[in-house]
Amino acid sequence: MILLILFSWQLTSAFAIQRFPKPEFESGYITPETLLPTPRANVLEVMDVAIFLIAMLLVTWAVLNRRSRKLVFWISIFSLAYFGFYREGCVCSIGAIQNVTLALFSGSYAIPWTVLVFFMAPLLFTLAFGRTFCAGVCPFGALQDLIAWFPRKIGPKLNAILGIIPYIYLALAVLYSATETDFIICRYDPFVGIFRINATFSMFLFGGGLLLSGIFIARPYCRFLCPYSVLLNWISRFSRYHLTITPSVCVQCRLCEDACPYEAIEKPVTVKNPKSRRTIVRTFMLIMLLIPFFVLLGGWTGSRLHETLAMVNGKVRMANELVNPETINGEPESIEMTAFKASGKPVSTLYEEASGILHQFYIGGWIVGGFIGLIIGGFLASRLVTRYRTDFEPNRGTCLSCARCTDYCPIKS
Amino acid sequence: MMENNSSTEQTVRLLKRVATLSGIVALILSVMIGINYIQIKRVDPLNTHAIIILQEQLKSSPGDKVLQQELRELDLLARKAFFISRWQIRTGGYILLISLLIVIICIKWIEWIQPKIPPRPKQARDRFWEFRQTNQRWIIYTGIFLVLGSLALAFLTYKEIGKTLQEQTDSKELSGRTPGSADQKNPTGDRLNSDPSNSDQPLDELNSSLTISSDSTSVQQPFPVNSILQDTGKSNAIPPGQSYPSRTEILSNSATFRGPDGDGVVSGKNFPVNWNGITGENILWKAQFRLPGYNSPIVWNDRVFLSGASSTKREVYCFDATTGGFLWLTDVSAVPGTPTTVPTVDRETGMAASTLTTDGQRVYAIFATGDLVALDMDGKLVWAKNLGLPKNHYGHASSLIMYRDLVIVQWDQSQGASVKAFNGETGELVWNTPRDVRVSWSSPLLVNTGKRLELILVADPCVAAYHPATGKELWKIDCIFGEIGASAAYANGMLFATNEYAKTVAIRLGDTPQIPWETTDYMSDIPSPVANDKYLFLVTSYGVIVCYDAKTGKEYWIKELENNTYASPVLVDDRVYLMDKTGVMHIFKADKVFTSVSEPVLGEGSVCTPAFAGGKIYIRGDQNLYCIGK
Amino acid sequence: MEENSQGKRVDRRVFLHTGVQLAFVAGLGGLTVLVARRAGGEGYVWQLDPAKCTQCGRCATSCVKTPSAVKCVHVYAMCGYCDLCGGYFVPDTKILDTAAEHQLCPTKAIKRTFIEDPFFQYTIDEDLCIGCGKCVKGCHAFGNGSLQLQVRQNLCDNCNECAVARNCPSGAYTRVPADKPYLLNEPGTGNGPPQKTEV
Repeated sequence: MILLILFSWQLTSAFAIQRFPKPEFESGYITPETLLPTPRANVLEVMDVAIFLIAMLLVTWAVLNRRSRKLVFWISIFSLAYFGFYREGCVCSIGAIQNVTLALFSGSYAIPWTVLVFFMAPLLFTLAFGRTFCAGVCPFGALQDLIAWFPRKIGPKLNAILGIIPYIYLALAVLYSATETDFIICRYDPFVGIFRINATFSMFLFGGGLLLSGIFIARPYCRFLCPYSVLLNWISRFSRYHLTITPSVCVQCRLCEDACPYEAIEKPVTVKNPKSRRTIVRTFMLIMLLIPFFVLLGGWTGSRLHETLAMVNGKVRMANELVNPETINGEPESIEMTAFKASGKPVSTLYEEASGILHQFYIGGWIVGGFIGLIIGGFLASRLVTRYRTDFEPNRGTCLSCARCTDYCPIKS
Repeated sequence: MMENNSSTEQTVRLLKRVATLSGIVALILSVMIGINYIQIKRVDPLNTHAIIILQEQLKSSPGDKVLQQELRELDLLARKAFFISRWQIRTGGYILLISLLIVIICIKWIEWIQPKIPPRPKQARDRFWEFRQTNQRWIIYTGIFLVLGSLALAFLTYKEIGKTLQEQTDSKELSGRTPGSADQKNPTGDRLNSDPSNSDQPLDELNSSLTISSDSTSVQQPFPVNSILQDTGKSNAIPPGQSYPSRTEILSNSATFRGPDGDGVVSGKNFPVNWNGITGENILWKAQFRLPGYNSPIVWNDRVFLSGASSTKREVYCFDATTGGFLWLTDVSAVPGTPTTVPTVDRETGMAASTLTTDGQRVYAIFATGDLVALDMDGKLVWAKNLGLPKNHYGHASSLIMYRDLVIVQWDQSQGASVKAFNGETGELVWNTPRDVRVSWSSPLLVNTGKRLELILVADPCVAAYHPATGKELWKIDCIFGEIGASAAYANGMLFATNEYAKTVAIRLGDTPQIPWETTDYMSDIPSPVANDKYLFLVTSYGVIVCYDAKTGKEYWIKELENNTYASPVLVDDRVYLMDKTGVMHIFKADKVFTSVSEPVLGEGSVCTPAFAGGKIYIRGDQNLYCIGK
Repeated sequence: MEENSQGKRVDRRVFLHTGVQLAFVAGLGGLTVLVARRAGGEGYVWQLDPAKCTQCGRCATSCVKTPSAVKCVHVYAMCGYCDLCGGYFVPDTKILDTAAEHQLCPTKAIKRTFIEDPFFQYTIDEDLCIGCGKCVKGCHAFGNGSLQLQVRQNLCDNCNECAVARNCPSGAYTRVPADKPYLLNEPGTGNGPPQKTEV
């Protein structure tokens, strides 16, 4: 056993064997130092967190206390400059979802405190004050907010289709980071490239396209992609002090009716549901009864898809390449495969690992599918319940607390 | 009031103009950046094909000043293009950002000095419930789409990898558990049948996946497939105790790497000097094989054998020497004790670098996995064993050689090197001599000094000789070092060993072998030298042929070829045959001056040493096996 | 009567809201505690282990930055100062001069300076280096392996998910503690961050 250990130690250190000894110089030559520049100081990271919290406090104050769009705008410009262009959009609260998930599922990953704060602080703030984070701290939001010039309403059909995407995105992001496969939120981040003025072409295309569409559909990423928005949305619905359009009593002037570019203002519901109460209750009950079925159907579908989902994982891909050589028919051996063969790792270990990961994905597929089924069921059910209201109110889930509507309200105190 | 209004309007008009202008600039810039990016991506100036071609040309004609100049200019140009384009993209990006910023500022400015007055709300019909219903309906559609889409995708991509992997892991575990010691007790191979874990599946796999055009006319024809798993114990039918082939038989065949004795010298005449693989001139037949390998063909009477391997599969092929017809293929992947670890091999070594050998009754093959197998002449497995995963960072490459009925394996590895001899009939280990050497890639040769037969092995740090029947070390001289790939050459009592970065050394054999001369001018890391009683012909892997006086080491001539040479030269009669990497055979006189006889082309690259037997030359190209004859 | 029921409904809603709020607080708090147990004080940075590196060339192309934040680093202490440098010259070079056609580096980022016969010092110009690893490969194949690829921490953006790490075929990339941000192979230390050498 000791021999074995010794031998393996020799193998690893064999790398550093010097074929040519270092010469003994006679000319008094002094070997230069190898320069090793250090990363960004940790103090600066702490400063980032401090600035993050201050910005959040400020914007909350501007939204709830000052009710001033102008203030919110300038704070968002600062956030865009600092967290966007200076800090180059990393680490952001959206991406932190993955770090938190990874920390929960992986034994070896120790999440830095700063990242944990970046993840938690906006959620807690939202619970207290609504999505003020989206209004002025998130650089992604600030960037899109700048160019929301001609917002159009997108209608109930698109709303229904696009509204599901963030949930799927969130579910997949959690799945992939829990299985230690990939950080897809970061991988498909549309705006970091713009913040860095440096990215791959496809990243620029995606980001640019999103920004262009953002001229007409205000904040498309925030509303129809952002996985963090799912959490914020849920929490914001139950926020303690949320922004209201009017500081006191609504006079029904309807000036704010089209003020919100994000379609987050709920109009008064005065018309009664044309369907009878009995029908509604019956439909509601039916949907509630159907939800378990949706969950099961979704879960089953997800489990069917687990192999496809798992193909993102490098190990699974490689194992697949080995057991199904026809998948790479005619193509030269991938660099990964060459490197794997060179590593001398036994194939059986790879197979074992890959089949373990596949199993994780199988369970994950059930959970992801079930979750999406649940969301769809919940959507259907919630569309049946309505509070009849008489005033214009922000939808607490989708309202980004940008304070535009307050400018339109004639009542100022 | 009016003035104020008009000045505001003027500002707004100005701002609008500025915004439009910057918008246009931004648009043009982004298109330009895009084009620049795509261009640089497509051309990839740092890996320009033109430069690579020029470099190759320059290599073949060093000292060409014009070519040099051209290359330098092109290189500078390419680097300039790369850095300028990078600068352009970056600067363009900044300007683009600034111009977009101007657009944004202008628009915001306009918004502020000319705030949008909310439109008078129209008294439209409240369509709240209609919207809700549409919304609800579309959620259902989306859900259905998601389910159907996912199922379709799953249906298209589902391959039950999980199950396959599980099976693979299970079967690996099973085969891993079969102990290698059982092998020695009953080495005839029929114990493989008793292993229930790998009964039918691999066979099915084989039958279903075999497509290979097999003979010279490239007509697909069915041929028997042998698998060791099919072995029904018939191998026992080989009569025991049969003698080994006679010297004449050995000399008339080509049973070993580099000719009958492994020294690169072939007796016999009437071998063709002209052929053309492209036009088919003098090509008797041409056959394909399935898996790659850098081993050379071996020939015994009417049969040609070679092997091929991938990281997971190992196969031995047999062709009809007269027609080129595919006779059989035996899958020898499932040798008991085969390491689950795929050994690390260099791309230029591969998994099947070792040339086979035969005693006319059985064919023996060794692979980079350390699998040593013996098949009868019909491809049935006689015995198989694994010698352990070779501790060899480029992959095991040493070829096999026969001494009487012994299969000799030069088992040089980074730790625990040895030379082993196995009984060809039973696979029993007859002798095993540990060697205090480092890993090598050279092959053994048998030399007859007139007094006795010596088995010569070359490896860092020594050239050593062993008694082929007992394995006793006869002598050794520490005279060479490094990563040795070239085998020794022998003629007329003189032995020659070489290695790049070390030296080329001549050893006069005798009771106490001596070194009459050595040189560091030219050495070889891949091709083995060849010698006759007067001359030593040394070939370097970068394509230089050097002729030395065998006795004194005097350099007679140097010939630089255009291409690299990996195959070893073969001395046939008074001519040397040397295959270069591109498939051109350089045939020249074994003489004091360089006289080219001919330079026939194969039509495809080759790194394998050709085999000469019965007036025919057998060449393994990168894709095909060729038989050349008149 | 009517007002009463309205009031009750509002009360019920407030009660429910508070309940959910408390649940959220508890949930988030629980999550924080759970994650915080796994939290480490220091941050991480990305680094590649030269011992695992196969010099596939993806460091140059996969990094989100152009040029890549991965550069060739020269560990002088390991260098043999060879005249025939496997990292500097293309293979089979016979004339050892600084002519462009003999240089391996596509951007000519390695400077060769004469020290004393027969030794030469090789210095990397990091402004020109694109991190392709060709010289590293050459140095590993023929020399001491003193040229090594490393993530230059002053250039690295420390992305949450490193794009090079994702594409690295040999899994050489790992998160390393920010206070030991390099994984150079150095003589005597085998494999370890240089900060350990003082032991």
